[in-house]
Amino acid sequence: MSVFLQQTVNGLSLGSAYAVFAVGFTLLFGVLNVLNLAQGAVFMVGAFTGLELVRLVELPLPLAFLVAMVTAGAVSVLTQVAVFGPLERRGGHRWMGLIASLAVARLLVAIAQEVFGTQVLRYPSEPWMEASWTIAGVQIQGLQLIVLATALLVMAALAVLLRATQTGRAIRTMAFNPNVARLVGVPVQRMTLLTYFIAGALAGAAGVQLGVLYNAVSPFMGETILLKGLTVLILGGLGHVPGAALAGLLLGLTEVYSVGYLSSSFRDAVGFGLVFIILLVRPHGLFGLTTRQRA
Amino acid sequence: MSEWLASYENVVALVLLNGILGIAAYLMLIVNRFSLATGGLMAIGAYVSVLATMNFGVPFALTLVLGGVTAAVMALLLGAPVLRIEGDYFALATLAFTEIVRIIALNWESVTGGALGIVGIPTETQIWQLALALAALTAAVFAVHRSAAGRVLAAIRGDEMAAAAIGIDVARARLLTFVASGAICGVAGAFAGHLNFFIGPSDFGMIRSIDAIVYAVFGGLGGVLGPVVGALVYTVLPEMLRFSAQAREILLSLVIILAVLFMPRGLISLNLPLRRWLPRRRGQRGKLAAGQGVAAE
Repeated sequence: MSVFLQQTVNGLSLGSAYAVFAVGFTLLFGVLNVLNLAQGAVFMVGAFTGLELVRLVELPLPLAFLVAMVTAGAVSVLTQVAVFGPLERRGGHRWMGLIASLAVARLLVAIAQEVFGTQVLRYPSEPWMEASWTIAGVQIQGLQLIVLATALLVMAALAVLLRATQTGRAIRTMAFNPNVARLVGVPVQRMTLLTYFIAGALAGAAGVQLGVLYNAVSPFMGETILLKGLTVLILGGLGHVPGAALAGLLLGLTEVYSVGYLSSSFRDAVGFGLVFIILLVRPHGLFGLTTRQRA
Repeated sequence: MSEWLASYENVVALVLLNGILGIAAYLMLIVNRFSLATGGLMAIGAYVSVLATMNFGVPFALTLVLGGVTAAVMALLLGAPVLRIEGDYFALATLAFTEIVRIIALNWESVTGGALGIVGIPTETQIWQLALALAALTAAVFAVHRSAAGRVLAAIRGDEMAAAAIGIDVARARLLTFVASGAICGVAGAFAGHLNFFIGPSDFGMIRSIDAIVYAVFGGLGGVLGPVVGALVYTVLPEMLRFSAQAREILLSLVIILAVLFMPRGLISLNLPLRRWLPRRRGQRGKLAAGQGVAAE
């Protein structure tokens, strides 16, 4: 039983970071109908920004976390302004958007390699990260608690923004229908940029979280999380933001349980197996809703 | 000439192999499906043929057939349920397939050698065989385009609903195309497996699928020569940028971004001087333009 509880604790902290990333990824899909495969690279940018701020500038981690979010958001906006925006105005085919986003990801990874090299870097250890408590045979690390708490905080802030503000209403109108949004006076261009910023900032936040949790940052770390993001996008119902948050937690738990009870090597196969089956059985995802309920 | 060919033998082999893969991706793109199954199907062809060579000493020609047939059967089994799904969801389902194949190859150590892969494979693949295969494939697709089946494909590409309305069995045509594309990937995998001494799971991942699509889109979807030209340019370009591994990646990704932005119809839409010298049949111009119009839609 305590093994099960231990796995649950581990799964929840891992899954909460997945959820943060996946919520941003899902927001882009739900609001702008964009499958942005460069999100993983933006995640990596966030992880490196946080790392360098802590290592070189010696900022405290919470501050570095916020700056990393803003930087990743800015990079995400930049990709929209430089590549995805012009492509859309030219009426590029959807496939072109996919290919362009992959090329942007490749570009960011190549630049990161040039700047930071290819070796795995680590966040410097801090006392609270090492702290751990044992409750009823279950070890809870300070690190896991912080990741879980920041994840909940970030997602709560997003929920407030989307549900309780004028801006959120505008974004949700765009998710419903961009033409309607334009007609009722939503500044579509500005809201598009804001959506890219939010998605990038969430990816950056997840980058710092997983960078600290795994204690490893490398230019290639975006690929794995991108695949997880795709899995969660489908599990959560393609564009359904609360569904993505829930599915992110679920994926974290599933992975940890499958390592605990099956075998670590098939951890990734479990996620993809789920994706495959869900796409066949419920093409609109586990929590799939109609388009009008997106975001 | 022969000296030049020897020093660039690997590049030439890659250009030809990638041309074959580009055509496999092209076939799926012209029936409106963004298939990321290429890498997975190729892996199946590669492992089946290499295992046949290593464990049973099957002659090379037969392993090519074996790789192609196995991948085609797999494409049939995969395609029957998955082809119903549309758009991004189809892309994601085929991506999941490719990743599952990779994970199985990575973990089924007793058969595939796991992450270490299979080493000491006899290198049977010759340049002339690849060239012959690519030429035959190009000719075959060209012939299909001019046949009744080609008109069915063109109708599906133009408007699926209209095609269905005039009595075309869209699902069946698409499944057949997927199986053909799978067979091509399988044979390409078998060639790739016998090209070097080694195969491993990371040789056939998502990147392989994406690159194949990039060849086709980069070259142009207006005709079968598009993916071949795309594979040529996209494979030779990195070799010319060999002076720095990172600068190469940066330049390559910039090239793709610029190509997507400024050449949405691909390389073959460029009005190269060469094209004026090529004999042009009557009416071909109109046909090409119509095909490209759909591709750029």
